[in-house]
Amino acid sequence: MSADLAAIAAHAEVLRADAQALTACAERLREIEAGLAASGIAPSWLRASVNAHRAACLQAATDLNTAAARLHHYSNATAHP
Amino acid sequence: MNGNDDPAPEHAKAAPAAGKASGIGDSAAGALRGAARELVEVAVTIQETAAHATAALTDGALLRALPRRPAAARPAYRALLRATTNGQGLGCALTGGRLATAAAKIGAMAGAESLAVHVLATSLRLRIAAVAVDHPELTDDPMLARLIDAAAADRDLEAVRALRALLKDRGAVHALSQLAPVFGEVLALRALLDENPLNDAAAWLIATGKGYVTADPLTGLSNRAVAALDTGEGVARRTELTGAEAARLSRRGSLLGFLRDISTVGTTGRILIRSVEGPDGVVRHVLQAPGMRAGRPSGDSPQDLLGAFSSAVLDSSPFSRALARAVADYGLAEGAELALMGHSAGGAAIMNLAQDAEFCARYAVTHVIAIGSPVDFKRPADPRTFVASVTNQHDIIPTLDGQGAGGCFDLHPDWYVVDYFDSTHLFPLCHSIEHYLANLADDLPEARAHLDERLAPFAGPVVRSQAYQLFDHVPDLTGFPFLTVPTYSLDGPAGAVELPIRCRDGSALTAYFTVDPSAAARLLEGTGTGPALRVGGRALVCVHAAWNRRTSAGGYRELHLGVVVPGPDGGGRRRSFLAWPDLLRGAARRRSGSYLVGSVVDTAATFVVAPRLWGGEPHRTPLEFRLTRRCARVTVGSPGDEILTLRGRLGPWLPTLDRDLVGYAGGGGTTLRSCVRTRGPARLHPLPLLRLSVAPEAAHPLADRLRELGLDGARPLLCLASTRRQALRDAAVPISAT
Repeated sequence: MSADLAAIAAHAEVLRADAQALTACAERLREIEAGLAASGIAPSWLRASVNAHRAACLQAATDLNTAAARLHHYSNATAHP
Repeated sequence: MNGNDDPAPEHAKAAPAAGKASGIGDSAAGALRGAARELVEVAVTIQETAAHATAALTDGALLRALPRRPAAARPAYRALLRATTNGQGLGCALTGGRLATAAAKIGAMAGAESLAVHVLATSLRLRIAAVAVDHPELTDDPMLARLIDAAAADRDLEAVRALRALLKDRGAVHALSQLAPVFGEVLALRALLDENPLNDAAAWLIATGKGYVTADPLTGLSNRAVAALDTGEGVARRTELTGAEAARLSRRGSLLGFLRDISTVGTTGRILIRSVEGPDGVVRHVLQAPGMRAGRPSGDSPQDLLGAFSSAVLDSSPFSRALARAVADYGLAEGAELALMGHSAGGAAIMNLAQDAEFCARYAVTHVIAIGSPVDFKRPADPRTFVASVTNQHDIIPTLDGQGAGGCFDLHPDWYVVDYFDSTHLFPLCHSIEHYLANLADDLPEARAHLDERLAPFAGPVVRSQAYQLFDHVPDLTGFPFLTVPTYSLDGPAGAVELPIRCRDGSALTAYFTVDPSAAARLLEGTGTGPALRVGGRALVCVHAAWNRRTSAGGYRELHLGVVVPGPDGGGRRRSFLAWPDLLRGAARRRSGSYLVGSVVDTAATFVVAPRLWGGEPHRTPLEFRLTRRCARVTVGSPGDEILTLRGRLGPWLPTLDRDLVGYAGGGGTTLRSCVRTRGPARLHPLPLLRLSVAPEAAHPLADRLRELGLDGARPLLCLASTRRQALRDAAVPISAT
């Protein structure tokens, strides 16, 4: 049982780190689009696409944070009933 | 010495200039490609997070927790399920593991893609935008733009309609040619976004540049499964080039000279190995491999369509193994310096050879130059090998590995890459070796100069050449059992000739005409073979033309004009109608045949022994022979100085077998009998629409004979045609001696 709890806790940590990575991805997407736009070479459709991707990244980060928090909650509740 | 002595890595993605593509790091196109590459990195990160979330969701630890502490475990499970399926977040992001992959495929079939896929699609669109900097027609042309937009927006019906409209308006050749620079990207876009889960992996590979496309991006059919159908150990047999081909080969080593040699050898299933004495006196060697052989998709040649495909997809193929055997047969010393040059599938095959560590340990592969070849994911075993890839952006073949003009990854910074475009956008024209040759000669002087500089050790006189015919398996070269016969040498003016001449592959056309019997009788007078056989009161004559492509005496063409006779002494004084069944017998039992009144042959080697082969007074002259299922064209004489032409449609046909030939001719004061035994399928054309024309100004004896017989402008009564036959021709025998 303790091995299962450890595994679940490890998943929680990974998902939390992934949430941060996705937030960074959203920022990187913004920078990519901004860079092309500043050079005047961004295709007209790019901003809308990147904004959609950024929103999705942020939403995904929220989802992963939520999942990580609930996994943590489970492992804590089980380890310290 | 190795071709890449220069320690500094060399990268020559063609610099921006007229006619050349904008490179990876160049201005607008470079920035767009850079952005596309960054988006790939973002997509890969997103995919990794999706894999982690899926792993947590499917981990047994959490699944076991559900029944034990449902109150705490169920919210966690629900959160993970939402994270991996939320259309506003990661999308349908289940990935990794069989169950998750199956679920993802079901999601893809339902049209639910993941966020990673959407980001990759944006990357591909940026790649298309980068290509459009050099190819504005991609975005300016409303039909092309409509197709690309529909593919990018996952509007299947609209994409199909746009493609159909493009094909209808431009035709397949123009449509493919115009799409060629972004062909891989458009295919990958479609594959990523369509509902077919089988092609997703291929699309992912194209979009991320991680490897060779593993499957057809349209259907998802495994490329390796298709390539595995190309079996064979690979065999190379020495062969001789024709005199005309040998005369066209370059005399000195140079880039253009070597490419011309590839053009000369052509897509005939042959390759060439040549030795040149470099400026330093060292003899070095060059293997020259042309591209795919025209003909059946899967024949006995490793250069067929299947062979081209497997050479591109696999690390080792019958093509590359046959090349290795040719090199071994050529007899290079260990450590000999070898340059490999190939066009199209030949380029892929030589790269396979270059990445064979055992081969590279035996020989010093100094240069690999691939022209119009899909070689992006091949790597030479010896890192010192100088590799150059020359590709036209409108040529689809080099993009078959998934990386074309829109590629945003610097897959091989140490290669010399010339990725260019020219005004000719038509595929397959722009894929031909002749077109690449012309581009390098006229449009790409810097690239040509650089490659010639790298080939400087090969800039010397050619001291040896050998052509090889390649096969998948050990070929039935002797035509067992038909061509497995005792042979003997016959001394001729130009040396010994091995008889009988064994033709492994040939075509023949025999056209029967009817002529004035008195004209035929005049030609037969005193021969002892008349009178001519008659049809409806007219004498029967035949014109037999053959192209003996591969024989034990080299390739040659021949044409004979003969009067059909019952045989010596009038066929034993039999009645004429009794001679007709005799015509159907095999040569060994046949008395009837054609009394030859005119013969021509096109090669010197055959000409010198012709009097021994069929007697008479044969002539040597150029001969053109073309025979298809529908029509024939036989021309005797050189262009502008033709003697006769027999050409036209062959008309309806009946299947039959090729027939033996028996010929009679004068020689040495007696009558000679010659035989050609044949084997192979043939077509009997009872209503041919051919016409024989004799050039008005022709003063050749053959032309005189044809006029005497009244054959100028005549149509044959019937024809027998064979496009694939084997034949045995032995020396003529004096009748008195039998």
